[in-house]
Amino acid sequence: MNKTLAAGWILLAGFALAALAAPWLAPADPGEIHLEEALAPPGGGHPLGTDQLGRDLWARMLFGGRVSLTVASVAVLLAVTLGVALGSVAGYAGGWVDLLVMRFTDIMLCFPTLFLILASVAFLEPSLFNLVAIIGATSWMEVARLVRAEILSLKEREFILAARGFGASGARIVGRHLLPNALAPVGVSATLGLGSAVFIESGLSFLGIGIQPPTPSWGNILAEGRATLGVGWWLSLFPGLAIFGLVLGCNLLSEGLRKLHD
Amino acid sequence: MARRRSSLAFGLTAFLLAGLSPSLASLLPPSQEPAPSYGDALISASLGEPSTLVPILASDSASAEVCSLLFNGLVKYDVDLRVTGDLAERWEILDGGLTIEFTLKKGIRWHDGHPLTTRDVAFTYEKLMDPAVPTPYRGDFERIAGLTVIDDRTIRVRYKEPFAPALSSWGMSILPEHLLKGQDLLTTAFKENPVGTGPFKFRRWIRGDRVELSANDDYFEGRPYLDHCFFRVIPDASTIFLELQAQGVDWASLTPLQFARMSQAPAFERSFRKFRFPSFGYTYLGYNLQDPKFQDRRVRQAINLAIDKSEIIQGVLLGLGREATGPFPPESWACNPEVQPAPFDPSYARALLAEAGWSDKDGDGVLDRAGQPFEFTLLTNQGNLTRELTAQIIQRRLKEIGVRVKIRILEWSSLLKEFIDKRRFEAILLGWALSREPDPFDIWHSSKTKPGEFNFIGYRDPRVDELLIKGRTTYDEASRRKAYHELHRILYEDQPVCFLFVPDALPAVHRRFEGVEVSPLGVGHNLIHWYAPRARQRFRLEP
Repeated sequence: MNKTLAAGWILLAGFALAALAAPWLAPADPGEIHLEEALAPPGGGHPLGTDQLGRDLWARMLFGGRVSLTVASVAVLLAVTLGVALGSVAGYAGGWVDLLVMRFTDIMLCFPTLFLILASVAFLEPSLFNLVAIIGATSWMEVARLVRAEILSLKEREFILAARGFGASGARIVGRHLLPNALAPVGVSATLGLGSAVFIESGLSFLGIGIQPPTPSWGNILAEGRATLGVGWWLSLFPGLAIFGLVLGCNLLSEGLRKLHD
Repeated sequence: MARRRSSLAFGLTAFLLAGLSPSLASLLPPSQEPAPSYGDALISASLGEPSTLVPILASDSASAEVCSLLFNGLVKYDVDLRVTGDLAERWEILDGGLTIEFTLKKGIRWHDGHPLTTRDVAFTYEKLMDPAVPTPYRGDFERIAGLTVIDDRTIRVRYKEPFAPALSSWGMSILPEHLLKGQDLLTTAFKENPVGTGPFKFRRWIRGDRVELSANDDYFEGRPYLDHCFFRVIPDASTIFLELQAQGVDWASLTPLQFARMSQAPAFERSFRKFRFPSFGYTYLGYNLQDPKFQDRRVRQAINLAIDKSEIIQGVLLGLGREATGPFPPESWACNPEVQPAPFDPSYARALLAEAGWSDKDGDGVLDRAGQPFEFTLLTNQGNLTRELTAQIIQRRLKEIGVRVKIRILEWSSLLKEFIDKRRFEAILLGWALSREPDPFDIWHSSKTKPGEFNFIGYRDPRVDELLIKGRTTYDEASRRKAYHELHRILYEDQPVCFLFVPDALPAVHRRFEGVEVSPLGVGHNLIHWYAPRARQRFRLEP
């Protein structure tokens, strides 16, 4: 295990643990309003201070982390599933199926992801489920291409020819022989994708079209922080640091995984 | 007359108070001190981009602000809130109020040099009444029986019946017939290259960035001292504040937090004067009255009792506002001082809901009736943190009485077009910017519920309809007052919306401008008399 990988693991695990243990770590309900304690600086009863409605920032950060991590990881899972399925079908079947699937992938890639997401958000209600579905459905293309490329190169190898010679079915060949060997780069891409999904979710919530108040998310805490920049620096610093840390963790992990495989 | 949907509560509300073009000329003599000097530019910031520069189509604050400098009406309000002549030199009220004869001032020219005549007034009226023109201001002109052009300077307007807002409704901007005849106002090139009679001329409009105006040398009340007036579109209140600090903007409205806590730095105080005065409008929680949940008046009263307005005013407005009790701001003569807000009383609220059949039978903390939980989605617009925070406080208070509220924040134009105009909402958190003429017919009358009209909550009450008609069809101030006072009382009792607060207007203006003063019309009413002393000017006109 290299240092990059370890650092990535530690960061990610830290965030994941904090999110899981949020109800025990948080001193207060993240939605509890105390107007008389509005914009209290860090320290005292509120380790990270409070927001404009007097809600505890530490509690909101923990629960916000839960939201951000859940959205990002489920969305990536969805993207990887879609990508692997489409990529392997295209790669293994070849011919017009490949042509069709890959042209569709190209079309999806043509649109800037954020634009696609903004367009979809305009039609759907911004619920947690929809957010996951939208992010997932707009970030599978990279994985599909990776998997297809791997499978194309693998399927001419001797061990595949052998399997085919033994009369293995297409599904078995893909499932047992091709995919396990093609998944390494997918792992690298997925961890990288996790970072960008966190970014997208925060970005959407920052713009007010992601997670709706009062549910906290790092993005919408940051958006509120911008309005209070001069009098409540903690409202922009901590969510900013958290997003930075989580994305850094994903990138380190992905970089570490890549080194491991090379 | 004209009231505009106040979108982004930080607009330069001074301009929108009336559909009357804001009185840019004060009756007071321009400021003392060394003789005013010409030159310099004023840069003001607006959260929203103007949607059109055809004034009779403009229903949003950003468009109205720009139009008000480009166009004039026949009349306007002066600083004492009396109707005074704008394009009109004088008028005579005949037939016991059924006829008004206006005489235009001599020698007024459009920005292109063409003389203004009463044909332009008649043309504007025709456009206002043209069913193909989607103007929200038609209601004020529907009672006209006919217009007679007597000569180039005299025009006579006859009404079918007495109409109290008749005179002030002629604050509507007049359009040039010679440029617009036979054109479709929605598609004409004029909407992006307007020609008016106002103190400033249109220079250019860079979409998404700014609108540039320059002084009209031939303005009939005298050339403005300022050479230019720029409206910068900056769709975010925090960015506007940063621009103020960087001196990229000379005039903008502050948020309560900016006013009370962020603008105390000596550098800011040295550069800007801050003003605070009650705005002429209110923020409210409106219900879709077609929804069975909200049809029972006890339910609406319960919601009103469960929301602590003073908590919102202290917590969100930081004390910079007052509680609203009805459709008229406290300064208005139509406001009934006897209507006192009911005290915050959640237990009474719960009792009222129980009376209406709502109780928590399944014990999940949310009231239900016939198996249906009491929950609704509250919509409000994006970019207005005051409203977002208010929504969250309301959500928390209603949860305490067992009503579950979901909040959804939407971009302004999609909120209007997709949800409000199509009646796809359960509850909304919005505001009205009102005119000085109190007639609230368009907002509350049961005939104004068609798509695009202002009674989008679908309120209908026979007595209210009667009072609205009564209030606008008599000239007797005392009986108008009586009608509006009763209207105010009924609306508070009936709670078709929950009246929340009247926010204070909090503009900041750069200190290099002299002649800036606050009046009941706001802070921009005498813009043509603002000037920057030569030594302190920042921008020069390039030849």
